Amino acid sequence: MSNFSLSSRSAQNVAVIMPKGYINDMGAVSLEQASEQLLGKGMDTLIVNFSNVQYINTIGISIFTGMVERTLEHNSVLCFTNMKKAHRDVFEMMGLIRHVKVFADEEDAIKFVKRKGQHDE
Amino acid sequence: MPFSALREKDFVGRQEELAALTKRVVLALGGQARSAVLSGPRGMGRTELQQQLFGRLFWGQDRVAPFSYSVNPALLSAQDFSRNYLTRFLCQRLAYEKKEQALLHLDGISLTDASSLLEERGATWASGLLEQYERSSADPVDALRIALNAPYLSALATGTPVAVLIDEFHRLKGLHRGGVPDPRLAALFEEPMSSGKTPHLITGNSPELQEMAVASGLERIPLLPLGPESMSSKAQALLSAQGAAGNVPHLLFRRLGGNPWYLACVVNAACAKRTPDEKAFWNAYVGEIREGALAVSWSAVLKNFFPDLAMRRTALAAAYTIYHATEPLSLKRIAKSLALTDAQASDALQGLYLAGFIRGEFGVFRATDDRVVRDSIESLYLKEILAKSAQEQDQHFREALFTQKEDSVRFDMTIPMVREAELVVAQCLQQIGKNLQLNEDAIGQMQIAVIEACINAIEHGKGADNKIRIIVAVDSDRLSISIESAGPEFIVQETGEPFGDQGAAKASNRGWGIKLMKRFADEVTFERIPGGTRTILMKKLETPAEVRKEDAAQNE
Repeated sequence: MSNFSLSSRSAQNVAVIMPKGYINDMGAVSLEQASEQLLGKGMDTLIVNFSNVQYINTIGISIFTGMVERTLEHNSVLCFTNMKKAHRDVFEMMGLIRHVKVFADEEDAIKFVKRKGQHDE
Repeated sequence: MPFSALREKDFVGRQEELAALTKRVVLALGGQARSAVLSGPRGMGRTELQQQLFGRLFWGQDRVAPFSYSVNPALLSAQDFSRNYLTRFLCQRLAYEKKEQALLHLDGISLTDASSLLEERGATWASGLLEQYERSSADPVDALRIALNAPYLSALATGTPVAVLIDEFHRLKGLHRGGVPDPRLAALFEEPMSSGKTPHLITGNSPELQEMAVASGLERIPLLPLGPESMSSKAQALLSAQGAAGNVPHLLFRRLGGNPWYLACVVNAACAKRTPDEKAFWNAYVGEIREGALAVSWSAVLKNFFPDLAMRRTALAAAYTIYHATEPLSLKRIAKSLALTDAQASDALQGLYLAGFIRGEFGVFRATDDRVVRDSIESLYLKEILAKSAQEQDQHFREALFTQKEDSVRFDMTIPMVREAELVVAQCLQQIGKNLQLNEDAIGQMQIAVIEACINAIEHGKGADNKIRIIVAVDSDRLSISIESAGPEFIVQETGEPFGDQGAAKASNRGWGIKLMKRFADEVTFERIPGGTRTILMKKLETPAEVRKEDAAQNE
């Protein structure tokens, strides 16, 4: 049985992905596939909520690089929320944090997206 | 002298490495051997291992000729070096062929004498090589090229491959023409090193080797610290050789970090008493770091990197500051705290890094993991900067060392090498943290580090039992996690890169795992244990009072 699962929801071109459990190579591949599907549906913002992520490893995180690239290719925004300090440190060390927007929680990320939308209009 | 004074049977704790190296160089018979750097901290036994290998190849087989060379800092002009290198090689090659040990002692022999010797022994191939060298001697670079290729040319001429064992290789960055060092001269080693018939096994100061293009691309074979079991056996052998008996305290073994040379210095000093007790061993240690062989050696290294007294004092102050900081420090912070310019701080830090006194990672500087180096530098600081008397220094170290306590709580577990087994350890660690009310952030960081360590063990462990043994030890101020698995050693100590299949490691991003362990643990050490590897992650624990103080400061 896998220690990873994933759920997502979307509204108004904003998708929230909720990974749960252990993000290793398999977990990260699922995440990457889910994000590709959502970007393919025209989402311009992906929010990854880490509140249910228990553990991560470096193989898993390295696969996030692909997800970041794909988001940039679609001119979309990638946001991370509810990250534990240690998890954020790992992303930072691997140089991924500079390509994403990090928020304390989902609400802050949504507020940012709304403000950005108003500004763009 | 290429042979070790130590008999092979007394060479404790390194038999597996010796066997692996022998197997490695014998591949030269099929032209398949590869050159490598034997890496590891000072005192870990690299030179001794090379000498043991030389002895084994010289006496134990007749298929691969050994050539041992220790770079002499007084012979670094291209001309002097090439002449010495070539004549030493020819003498040793002849010694091997004729099994004449006396020929190994012919150091500094002139070209004329070498020529007569070769003629006398009927070594026509070698005479031809010498003539070729003499004809090229007008151009030091051509002559150097011929000397460096002599082992390869001899392999072609005689059909006998040569294992080239070079000690203190880093000194070759000083090879010069007319007094001007030229890095291209050492780069001439690239050609003979690339031949499968002349594997070069080099050693030297690891940070400096890393900076030499010709060495940095070579495979690295790490010589890991000895585990407590091998250290204990070695201590007993040393005591017995001195006609003494006793037990080295467990905490002293830990302090010596699995370094056989440190152990030999301390045990020999403790043998002033016939039956040294715990206190006698600790006193011997304090004596060693204050004024014994260890103190002299580390002081000489410091002087070598900082010949100028004022610069040496600055370097000591910088090292002391880093050793006593609660977190890694940036260059700017060190410069500010010591009232130095950035350039002055940079010079001091560069020298300290190359000397092995500090680590530099991710733009910040940390103390070396080597406790003996730290104690030796601290002793120098007390003496040279704070002008403390011998008595005050003694008291300082005794107070710090004699009050150490053994681990108070210890959890042992064994997990199978199966997918995601690392999560079991991470979960256990979380529960241990809760039970003992440890800092949650520290536990979170150590969970990530231990996951990476277990994955490494699973990936590289090829032992028969397919198990990983984990020990979590918690005492008043530290959390240590030891991860043991059977299988080949897989870490290059100073770079943190997996050893062996580095290409595959990069492809699977495993290099990050070691960096991450080093980021989250305060100390990461890799030990060689019989038949496997042990990774030890250590995290300093803040006391609840310190945590509260920090929280209050953040809330202000």
